[in-house]
This record gives sequence, structure tokens and C-alpha cells, in this order.
Amino acid sequence: MPHADVVVIGAGLAGLVAAARIAEAGATVTLVAKGHASTHWGSGGLDVAGPAGVATPAEGVAHLATLDHPYSFLAPDVAPSIAWLLERLEANGLPYAGTLDTPLRRVPTAIGGTRRVAIVPAAQAAALRPWEPDEILVIASPAGFKDFWPAAIADSLGREAVWMGAGHPGRVTGITVELDGVADRHNLNALHLARRFDDPAQRAADIARFAAAVRKAAGGRPGRVGVPAVVGLSQHAEAWAELKARLPLEPFEIPLVPPSIPGIRLWHVLREIIRAAGGRVQIGESVARIHVEDGRVTAVEMEAAARTQLIRTEALVLATGGIAGGGLVATHDGRIVEPLLGLHVDAPEHEEWLVADALDPAGHPIEAAGIPTDGGLRPLAQDGRPAPLANVRVAGALLAGQRSIRERCGDGIAVASGWRAANELATDATRTPIEREPIAVRTDQ
Amino acid sequence: MAVPHTVDVLVIGGGATGAAVLRDLARRGLKSLLVDRSDFGTGTTGRYHGLLHSGGRYVAKDQLAARECIEENRVLRRIAPASIEDTGGYFIATPDDPDDYVEAFANNCNASGVDCDEVKVADLLAREPALNPKTRRAFRVPDGSIEPWMLIDSIIADARRHGSEALTYHRVIGMEVQANRITEVTLRDEQTGTVSRVWTKFVVSAAGAWAGQIAAFANVGVEMTPGKGTMLIYNHRMTDAVINRCHRSSDGDIMVPVHTVAILGTTDIKVPDPDDFEVTRAEVERLVSEGAKMFPDLPRMRILRAYAGVRPLYQPPADAVPGVGNRSISRAHAILDHADQGVDNFVSIVGGKLTTHRLMAEQTVDVVAAKMGVTTPCTTADEMLPDQEAGHTYWLGHRLADHEEEGGGDATLLCECELVTRKATDAYLDKHWPCSIDDVRRGSRVGMGPCQGAFCMFRVAGLLAERLDARSTAAGQPVPAGLEGDGHGAASPAQHAAIADRALTGFFRERFKGTRPIAEGRQLQELMMTNGIYLGVLGLESMTSASAPKLSEEALDAAR
Repeated sequence: MPHADVVVIGAGLAGLVAAARIAEAGATVTLVAKGHASTHWGSGGLDVAGPAGVATPAEGVAHLATLDHPYSFLAPDVAPSIAWLLERLEANGLPYAGTLDTPLRRVPTAIGGTRRVAIVPAAQAAALRPWEPDEILVIASPAGFKDFWPAAIADSLGREAVWMGAGHPGRVTGITVELDGVADRHNLNALHLARRFDDPAQRAADIARFAAAVRKAAGGRPGRVGVPAVVGLSQHAEAWAELKARLPLEPFEIPLVPPSIPGIRLWHVLREIIRAAGGRVQIGESVARIHVEDGRVTAVEMEAAARTQLIRTEALVLATGGIAGGGLVATHDGRIVEPLLGLHVDAPEHEEWLVADALDPAGHPIEAAGIPTDGGLRPLAQDGRPAPLANVRVAGALLAGQRSIRERCGDGIAVASGWRAANELATDATRTPIEREPIAVRTDQ
Repeated sequence: MAVPHTVDVLVIGGGATGAAVLRDLARRGLKSLLVDRSDFGTGTTGRYHGLLHSGGRYVAKDQLAARECIEENRVLRRIAPASIEDTGGYFIATPDDPDDYVEAFANNCNASGVDCDEVKVADLLAREPALNPKTRRAFRVPDGSIEPWMLIDSIIADARRHGSEALTYHRVIGMEVQANRITEVTLRDEQTGTVSRVWTKFVVSAAGAWAGQIAAFANVGVEMTPGKGTMLIYNHRMTDAVINRCHRSSDGDIMVPVHTVAILGTTDIKVPDPDDFEVTRAEVERLVSEGAKMFPDLPRMRILRAYAGVRPLYQPPADAVPGVGNRSISRAHAILDHADQGVDNFVSIVGGKLTTHRLMAEQTVDVVAAKMGVTTPCTTADEMLPDQEAGHTYWLGHRLADHEEEGGGDATLLCECELVTRKATDAYLDKHWPCSIDDVRRGSRVGMGPCQGAFCMFRVAGLLAERLDARSTAAGQPVPAGLEGDGHGAASPAQHAAIADRALTGFFRERFKGTRPIAEGRQLQELMMTNGIYLGVLGLESMTSASAPKLSEEALDAAR
């Protein structure tokens, strides 16, 4: 029967970081998940903390740590875990820009709004630099692509109010670029375009078209160009370098609706880090049951296509996500339950889940629902004492007290809690301290 | 289009009834104008479950209403075949339904002329396996499912062919009454704020639940008792036929398959204001628990959203003298001739149901025509409506089949749920331009399927922006009402963006309103995920503050 020192359930950022860190520590780890997770529908950036009124992620973490919030006990791990992750990503060909002390700035979105970010993939970094009044922003997209509409984006970004008081370009214009064969392509999506950029010959031709169109639109003015985040998947680094070298203005990627290409790049790199360190990643297998004996998880049972698989284990990281990820489920009678272990969930009363206005700046109370834990990420029972599950750690969006959409803290919590869960369990499993050498791997998706 | 100076009849209310009144007037030679404060079909017409009544629901309590339903059912199948899906319908006797009602049902149908055949329960269960296996008896009736927006478009197109006109977003804000006659009606364009006046010989109010508010402009009292009906949209068709409980009509006792979804109706709760009501969780729970008597697995099926409409119920005052036609029409609708209250050229049509909208219009126009000395007979039941030639409603694959037949090519799907291609949307825009994001939604079903617009509404906004782009306006393309600019030429990109913002944020809020009372299980999950995408990745909240129409010169310059 298969065995792993630690089983991680969930393939979002928390589960991936936990599994990578455990594998690096020398323990055997198997990550299982029913499907892809937050990476595939996020921006690819790392939202560590950006509640209204703070200037940097570090300030945001410090502020949230004073509240009834996961950062109240995770805060010390945020800096080392983010540094560890950024180092690994850089070493594996997916560099990021920004640190916890980088000012949060407003960058354009794919519907012509703005959002505040500080730590982003290098390909999104040019959007962070403050705008000069004489700069033009050219929004450019392949014609016929349905998830990015340059005219609408430019119309919207041309309005000062969208920038919410932040600096903005003096002028915004939208252009579409005709690429060979795209107009006839049925139902072109972000993945098709990204793979097109992976092909060196195709890429050279496409970039030449972009360069000509952007040059014409810019008319010699200084500025930058925003493109949909589809510039290469497996060959992203090469494609990006080439685009940057050949466009007359500095480019940046704008993340799109799912599937998120920047998020998929992140997922590929993290999976390869886990595999290179000896860990296993099994996607597409729903956990049917978790075996518990004498207050300890002993095995995880998965449903595959035609059989069930049982993995015996010494410890479990539960990183199944919040309500959006399916780790928490709302029942018909108004309870929020954690379906795998039946852990106690802190949640507001049913009547208070959602406020009346969808866009209320305060957000919805239900967003804070989650599993309360102690500082070691052990789940707590209703009475506030540790639940009788000694070898379980909870990580990521499952943790109670975060309102990640408004606080923009979901990725920071995922990374810091994944890291802490790994440190706790890997040390138990191997009795050796964790090493911090970067392990270089190839991403050949 | 400019507001005409003078008309024969002004029709107020762009639901199915108002549209049918306009068409009937036009066909009898009366040059008329219809106005609605919003888009067509956004009141009760667009907010019901989509049932084409066979009359079966009325056979026990109101035989005249039942007879009208079956007759109009046959007329609509003839004149609007492309708006109707012939699903057929069944009345099923569950263990909860009273024996005496079930026993009498077939005879009651016979007495009202409603075609009704008892079928073997086993055969029905084989056809509709989600039905309650404890069903005791089942009766087949000619119920169907009807698409209201396409129907209204067709009716108005016919009225226009006969010389009349219809305006959206024109609200009645005043009436001038002189010597017992309304002489002039004041309208405000809700998009530009422009106020205009129409001189008219006659006024017909087809404002439904809002009829009291309209009548008040002429100092006439119409006591409406709006009844809120809440409905639940399920994410699939658990039945391909309309299913009714065989009992006295009540809450949660009808399921109507509509295109890709199915709609469970309804509740009936009096509300003081037809514009101010919300769906409560208690109503949702009641609907689901009642609906489970027809479909036992209903509590485990996924609800996409809840919504409510207001029935235009009219309670005649106890001491009222019967109005014109009251003897010959059923209690289901009433034509109120306000001559009784001192205004000679003003009629309100109240009550009724979508299935009988044409008949209601005919009876109303009979009254109007008689008073105006027009003797031309009604012809609205005789000819097929425009754009109905296809003769059948589409099924999901039709669109792609049609696309392939036309030679294929770019099949970019703007809406994956409803298989709406970019080409089809472009064709709609070519035909209906200028129009709004909501018009596109109703006209093409973009955003009406299981994802409820999460992945397609911004695409439609993008497509509209391309059309609205300054380049195309400069090239002489018309712009939608309200976008003509500020007197300095075409609308600015910033104004275009403000329109798109309002559409997107409005859509997001409206969608949330429908999800809130049913937010549980997968649907709460989807809501949270949609929030994560729109607020986390797309920054929608930054656009709410930007949609204010006033913009600084600098911003406008920047936008140019």
C-alpha cells in the first residue's frame, strides 16, 4: 500500500507550498486534489496584504495581525516564506518583481478597471512603475480574442476616476492586431494564444505585427503597452524577452478571466519543484474519506476512475480551500461545514452571510468563515481547545478570519500557512531541520 | 427616434399587453405611440415562469379564464410559433393532492374546452423519470413554454409595419386634463433627461401593476393589489414537459422547462409597491419543499437564481358599478373605462396573464375603437407575426447547426452556456443597432444560461465598445439613445465607458440579488468564485466610482 510521510489535500497555493517545502525537507509527500485550484483563476501575482489605507504589503500584514485574522499568528512567517517562494520561482525561470515593502500601486485590469498590487510576475511589473503625464498607454490585443477588448479597456482607463486617485497615463488608446490564422480559429482562448507564443517561428511573426501596430499607435510618444497575459506558457521567458526587445514601448501583461496563464505558469513551476524534490502530485482524484484512528489521521482514500486508492500517512495538511474552492460547503439548512473531517467552522449566522449590495466595500461576512486553529495550525474544536486530530494542519483559504477579496491577503496567507504547516510536520516526520538551498528544475510543459 | 408631436392613441406600458394594444390599434388604422419607462418586457412580462397556459390551472375555479387560455393558446401557436416551445404539459396527482379535485379534473377540462387525456403513470414516468414515483394519476394538456422578449419584438415590429411607433426609456411624468379629456402627456427620456410633450386623442394604460400610478396623473383612482410571485431557475431541465400539481393552484406547484433551464413557480404575496420587493429565504424554502412533491430530488438540484415578478392584480371596489365589458370578460382581467370617473378618453387594462395578452388587447381596442368611431374589425389573430417564420423555437444546437449551414467560419462563442457566437451577436447588433447590453441579452440569450453571465457580459460590453468606438461614430454610425453627446458631436469614449460600467456593475448587482436568497452549496461557491474573479482579478469595484457621468475636462481630453 502506498505510503507518504505527509499527505497534502488541495492544489492551490497553500497546498503547493506545503508540499514543496515538505519534499525539500526530505520527507515523502503526496499532494492529492480533485482538480486545479486558485492558481488557475487568479492573477498569477501574490496578494499578501492590501487592505484599504495601507501603503505596502508589510504594513498590511502588520495591520491585519492586530485583528482576529490568520496574520495574528502567521505574521512572523510571512517574510521568510514569501522570500523562500520568490527565490524558488526566480531559480526556476519565473522571476517576480516586488517585495513586502514595495508600494501597493494601481494597475490596469482586463475590463478597464484597476486593482492594487505590489508583488507580481516580472511580465506584469512594468505596470507598477508610476506614470508620467506625457506617457501613452497602448492596450493591444490579437483581433478576434474574446476575453480582452482593447477599445472598451481604453475607453474605461481613459477616465481619471478609475485610477482612484493614483497616477495614470496621460492618454490611453486601444488597438487590435491581426494575426495570421486567428480570425478563422474557432473559439480562440488564452491557452491557444499562449501556445502560439511558445512556437518560435509563429512568435517572431506575431511580435513583428504587434511592433508595427504599437509603433503606429504610439506615434513616437513615450509610454507602455498592456497586452493580455498570454505571452507564452512553457516558453514564457523566451517569448517575453523577445516581445520586450522588439516592441517600441515597454510591455506588461494584464491577467485575464480563467484560465489564468500567469497562474498556470506558477502552478507548473511549483509542481516541478515538488517533483524534483521527490514529492508526488496527483490531480483529478477526489478524496472520498479520511481514516482516523485514536485521534490521528492514518490514511487518505481517493476515488479514481475505476478504483479507490488508499495512501497511508503519518500526517495531513488540509488545504482544500474556502467556499470558492469547495473546502467549505454551505448546507441547505444554513450551516457551513468542512466535509472531509467534519472540522468545526467559525461562520456568521445564516441571515448575515451576505449583505444587500454585491459591491459593498465592506464585503460579505461569509467571506470570513473558516476553520479556527491554534498558532501551529491545529484545528480547534467548538470549545476553543485543539480538536482530537494531533497530526492535522490547516492551511490557506480554509483558515477562519480572512476576508481575502477586500483585504487582498489570500496569497500571503496561503504561502505563510503552507510554509508553517510544512515546517511543523516535516520536522516531526524527519527529525531534521529544513534546508533552504534552492533546487533548480525545468518547467517543460 | 424623436417623440412624435401628435398621435391618435398613446399606449403606456411596453409589456406584452401594451405591445399587443399598439399592434391592434395600428392594424385598425389608429396611428399610435407606445412608451415604456424602461426596456420592453422588463416588468411582469419578462419576470414570469414562461408558461403558455392550456387553461388547465383554471378549470376548477374560473371556467371563462380557462376557455380564454385554451383559445389564445391556439391563436399564439398560429401567430407566434417561433416564440413557443411545444413542450406539452401534465397535471399529476401526487399523494398530497385531494381526490375530489383529481376526480373532477378531466370533466372540468372538458367543460372548459381544454384538451385533456389521462395517460398511464408508468408511461409518463418513463418519459420523465425525475417525477415523483408515487404519482397516482396524470393528465396531458397542451401547455407550452413561451419566450416573451422575442414575442414582444415581433408584436412591435408588426405595429411599426402598420405605421405606429414605440419608445423605450420614456417615462410618463404628467398629464394635462381639460374638459374631461386628457389632451397632452408629458414624457421624460430616462437616458438624456429630455422632457417632451405628446398631444393625443386617447390614452390606454397597459401599465399592469403600475396602472394605479399612471391613472393618478389623470386624477383617476385605480386600486391595484400587486402580487409578488417568486420563481426559482434550476440549472437544467429535469423535465421536458410542463408539470403541474393536480390541485387548486398554490405555491411551488408548476415547473416550466425554458430553453436550457427549468423554472419553478410561484408564490403569491401582496406587496405595497411593485418596484420595491425582494425574495426571501422563507419563500425559497417553501417553493422547494412544495416543488419536491413533484420532483423528490429537487432539494438536491442546483438553483441558479431566484427572481420575482409582480402580478397586475386588480380588485374592483366592492361598491363599483360594473365597467364596460365586465359582463363579457372574466375576472382574470378588466378593462376600466375612466369615463366613469370623469375622464372620457382614458382606458386602463388591468389583470390578466401573458397567454391572453392578445385577447385583452383586442377587447381593449374594441372599447377604444367604439369610442373613437372606428369600425375596422380586429385582425390580430389572423396573420403570423413578423420574424416568426422559423416556426419553431430553437434548441441549443440550432445555432451551431445554422452556423455550419451558412458555411461555418469564425465560431467564437461569446456565451458558452447558450452557444451564442460572435457572428450571431454581430448579426443581432446589425439588425437592432443602436441597442443596449440588456437588449443583446434578451435578444440573443447571452448570459441567460447556467453561468448567468459571469463569463460573457464583459465580452458583450467589449463588443459594444468596439461599435461605439469614436472611429465608428465618426464614420456616421448611429449611437444609442442617450449617447448623442453633449451637443459637441459624438459621445466621448468616457461616456461609452460609463455606459459599459453601469451595465456591468448593474448586471453584477442584479445577478447577486437573485443569488442571495438561494446562496448555498454549489451556488454559493460559484458566487464566491465570481466575486474572486470580478473583484480580485478584474477590479470591478474601481469602476463603480468611475461611472458617474460628470468627468473632468482633463479626463475627457485624456480619453480622446
